[in-house]
Amino acid sequence: MSIDGQSITGPGESGVTSASGPALRRAVVVGGNRIPFARAGGSYAKSSNQDMLTAALDGLIARFGLQDERVGEVAAGAVLKHSRDFNLTREAVLGSALSAETPAYDLQQACATGLETVVGLANKIKLGQIDSAIAGGVDSASDAPVVVSEGLREVILDLNRAKTIPQRLQILSRLRPKDLAPLAPGTAEPRTGLSMGEHQALTTAQWKVSREAQDEVALNSHRNLAAAYESGFFDDLVTPYRGLARDGNLRADTSIEKLAALKPVFGRNLGADATMTAGNSTPLTDGASTVLLASDEWADARDLPKLAAVVDAEAAAVDFVHGKDGLLMAPVFAVPRLLARHNLTLADIDFFEIHEAFAATVLSTLAAWEDEEFGRTRLGLDGAFGKVDRARLNVNGSSLAAGHPFAATGGRIVATLAKLLHAKGTSDGRPARGLVSVCAAGGQGVVAILESL
Amino acid sequence: MTPLQPVILGDMPSLSKLYVNAAAQAARRRLLGTHDWSVLPVESHEVRGVTVDVANLTAYQHLLGETASDVLPAGFIHALAFPLAISVMNRDDFPLPLLGMLHLHNSVEQRAPLLFTDALDITARVENLRGHRAGTQVDVVAEVRVAGTQDVYWRGISTYLAKGVFLPGVDKPSSAPVRRDFKAPDPTGVWQLGVDAGRAYAAVSGDFNPIHLSVLSAKALGMRRSIAHGMYLASRALADVGSVRGDSFTWDVDFDAPVFLPCRVALEISSDQGGSGTWKRSDFVAWNPRSGRRHFSGSVAAL
Repeated sequence: MSIDGQSITGPGESGVTSASGPALRRAVVVGGNRIPFARAGGSYAKSSNQDMLTAALDGLIARFGLQDERVGEVAAGAVLKHSRDFNLTREAVLGSALSAETPAYDLQQACATGLETVVGLANKIKLGQIDSAIAGGVDSASDAPVVVSEGLREVILDLNRAKTIPQRLQILSRLRPKDLAPLAPGTAEPRTGLSMGEHQALTTAQWKVSREAQDEVALNSHRNLAAAYESGFFDDLVTPYRGLARDGNLRADTSIEKLAALKPVFGRNLGADATMTAGNSTPLTDGASTVLLASDEWADARDLPKLAAVVDAEAAAVDFVHGKDGLLMAPVFAVPRLLARHNLTLADIDFFEIHEAFAATVLSTLAAWEDEEFGRTRLGLDGAFGKVDRARLNVNGSSLAAGHPFAATGGRIVATLAKLLHAKGTSDGRPARGLVSVCAAGGQGVVAILESL
Repeated sequence: MTPLQPVILGDMPSLSKLYVNAAAQAARRRLLGTHDWSVLPVESHEVRGVTVDVANLTAYQHLLGETASDVLPAGFIHALAFPLAISVMNRDDFPLPLLGMLHLHNSVEQRAPLLFTDALDITARVENLRGHRAGTQVDVVAEVRVAGTQDVYWRGISTYLAKGVFLPGVDKPSSAPVRRDFKAPDPTGVWQLGVDAGRAYAAVSGDFNPIHLSVLSAKALGMRRSIAHGMYLASRALADVGSVRGDSFTWDVDFDAPVFLPCRVALEISSDQGGSGTWKRSDFVAWNPRSGRRHFSGSVAAL
């Protein structure tokens, strides 16, 4: 079948056992730990990515008794990363209570970084390459790297190569005052010059997502997260850091009236359609998260809990550069492919964790899945992909309330979902099932299925 | 014997005022001479409810190479208690001149971790006045408790030498100790200390002793160049030992030749994992890679 979109079948169709190797074993989520997320410029303003990742890691180590343990591998990453942090994760491991013989690598896939570390390490466990792993991510919008201008950078490098004083003077004479201004990282897409919010504003208008619906998603996020904290849900998922015990962005007392009073910040050039505010968009945030993954044998040998299995994952990307799809819409394609591989529909999912980059991102995703024509022409289905039961969506809050330290969001979601699934146990006589969906810059997205244990 | 009630100070004393006062005191001493200089003051000084500035803590941790965790580094606590320690040595009844004293040895017991959110009660006293072949030495003992509790979490003993000061009634050791020859081992690390290393540590520790700040201020006090703070060096060695030390440990250092800035310092850290594979101790020694002179040596050991 030829469709102007992305086929929902893929190379994974042959199933989850390899033709030449032994049957794959299971990778389980033992638990997670993160530091509370702080608004940029707040409690963690002076903490580096390495500080925060180490803090999250040490909390996980303390929680599961991993002092001096040689873990199979640690993978984490940061989106805003200083060049001196080329070995960020390994340095964090060396600064942690883990055995110094624990290997580590950095990974970067924009906001999908955290989820991709879970997927990659779970795959290594399934293949039998490692028995245990720690996935994670960290980001600091406060302690962001600032770089020198291209003009200054070239002058400095050329000066280094110059051999004589006249050569050096000649090179220095190229320097202009404007070259001395430092450059802070931005959130603009390199190929479009539009910020992520401006991109989403286009998608929001395209799917006619209302201001009211966005504010409602934001309100639910704050209410659900606050209720989860009140019930003690995060007691074994969060370690206080720098005086913060709860996410700094959480507004338990926000209301639909307060959210409605905020002025739009993205898409203002779209006139009457500007609906995205600081309340229904995620703020710049600092934080770190970690997830402990293991084989059944490794967890059992240490008498550690097994919350959920990492069943499968799928990445997707969209051609957003000239507006064929919205920048943050890749999960819209990844989820149907992933569910089809397992003969599942949206109705078979007990918990949806759809990352709230913006409230409108969640709503645009749901709208696309409910759209008959989009299902037919873009997903290659007979009609609409399906409807997400809103009562199962982000039940303990998501990024709008918690904040979104880019690479740390995946770990936050996976640990939260694994605990939710474990608490639910079974659903209709089968293991409870959860779906994670994370959109990312560059028009990418990663999604995964977890199942209760 | 009931110990004397401590002198409770309302606030942590100001180091710069103490240094100025010490200079004035030195002048006064030359005129007056009525005190029995062979005994130490028995009163301890105490400050209660000391709180930590988190920005200062983070800056300290970054400078010394510690991860910016919520646990106070043992060297940070030394810096926190340092003004109180100096205040005891700055009393009129303290028999040695404070200015110009050399830090010979430092010994810390970190019995349990202290967090930056803990309010701290800090005490300091002097004891063990004794002779040294080059003068007279004394121990300053500082203890840190969580405010309002009795358990000592951190205890530090700093041994200082008043060079060339011989007090009546304080015995000199009969013979100089045998000088151990030092042969530099293969280094496990090298530090590049800039000329600003003293100023940088002064900014996070509050110890603006002029001998550490600049060539000029050091020369004014008779040094040929500025020197690194001993506790900066010891604290970097502690940071280099790493997280393997855990939350409770002893940390000892002997200071030898001063580190003139700027310079390179070579360092060797060797760890003993013991039979069971659990960490027992790490020994460190640092020297000048050019001259081969030893700057300091010490150990961090499990408590």
